[in-house]
Amino acid sequence: MSTFAAIAAVLSVGIITYASRAGLIVFLADRPLPANITRALRYVGPAVLSALAVNLVAGGQGIVGVEFVEVAAIGVAIVVTAITRNLIAALAAGMTVLWLLLWLS
Amino acid sequence: MSDDDRAINDQTGSAITLSALRNAFPLFIPAIPFGLVLGVAITNSAMPTAVAWSTNIAVFAGAAQLATVSLAATATWLTLVATAAVINLRHVMYSAALSPRFNDQPRWFRWVGPFFLIDQLFALMSARNEIRGSEWRRFYLSAGIFYFSSWTTVVTLGMLAGSSIPTEWRLDVAPAIMFAGLVVMGLANRPGIVAAVVGAVVCLLALDVPNNGGILVGAISGVIAGYLADVDESRRDDQRAAAVG
Repeated sequence: MSTFAAIAAVLSVGIITYASRAGLIVFLADRPLPANITRALRYVGPAVLSALAVNLVAGGQGIVGVEFVEVAAIGVAIVVTAITRNLIAALAAGMTVLWLLLWLS
Repeated sequence: MSDDDRAINDQTGSAITLSALRNAFPLFIPAIPFGLVLGVAITNSAMPTAVAWSTNIAVFAGAAQLATVSLAATATWLTLVATAAVINLRHVMYSAALSPRFNDQPRWFRWVGPFFLIDQLFALMSARNEIRGSEWRRFYLSAGIFYFSSWTTVVTLGMLAGSSIPTEWRLDVAPAIMFAGLVVMGLANRPGIVAAVVGAVVCLLALDVPNNGGILVGAISGVIAGYLADVDESRRDDQRAAAVG
């Protein structure tokens, strides 16, 4: 890839990324959103983040990319988060389970 | 009177910055392996290394950056840009979700703030309901600048050393663990649980949708399910109130 084509690609991706983040904030912020929309937006966080987690586990290989050890580690992390409300504890517990299972198998 | 009329003094300001950094740091840890992976991908990219590295500043979005530098060898300009657009669609939802919080913010911040809106900052700020106005802005910018500088540092380190971390450590699983934890932290009510479960299950069923489109399909289904559950719940509450009354 030529330097010019690479710069053009990086700039285009940069502009698209910024536009997707800024569009609604720059143009919507003066008006209050309709109540229905605000109500729906409350659920964007949980819906996107859980979908993102599933996608990361699959690692771009579809359903075959989902391994048992990963599911077990995430399951433990979910339980630990629910009990402790502490993400570092959840990460430590999840990774420990993952390493234990990998070591046992 | 807006909160900006009430100027924050230096002491409050430093306290907010400290609190922002303390809250932002744990969320950054799982991004470290991803940043190292991206660093390695940049050194292997078909793009000139300096141009591939510049995605840290021009794009600042891990998944879109990784796609850009690794697809450069095979994809046309159009496929590359379209892929990045699909990966970035979740940012439109983040921006929609946070836009009410920008209501009382000055114009310059509405233009500058969105640049920093990565997954971690969204998770951090959408849970930050106790502060408003200039305090909210200071918190946002402190965390945003922290993520921006740490991310660029980690990716650069990855270019130097990332290839020497053994893959057997499976640090690639850390981001998924952290995102799952973030979901649990954000769950406040039954409709939230419905949204998270539907989002995850639909994404799982839609994994074969190309260009990571499953994230979007799952997310939209989850939002709709959460909304419907919310409407259903408040209707029941109304009925119960009517029955008692």
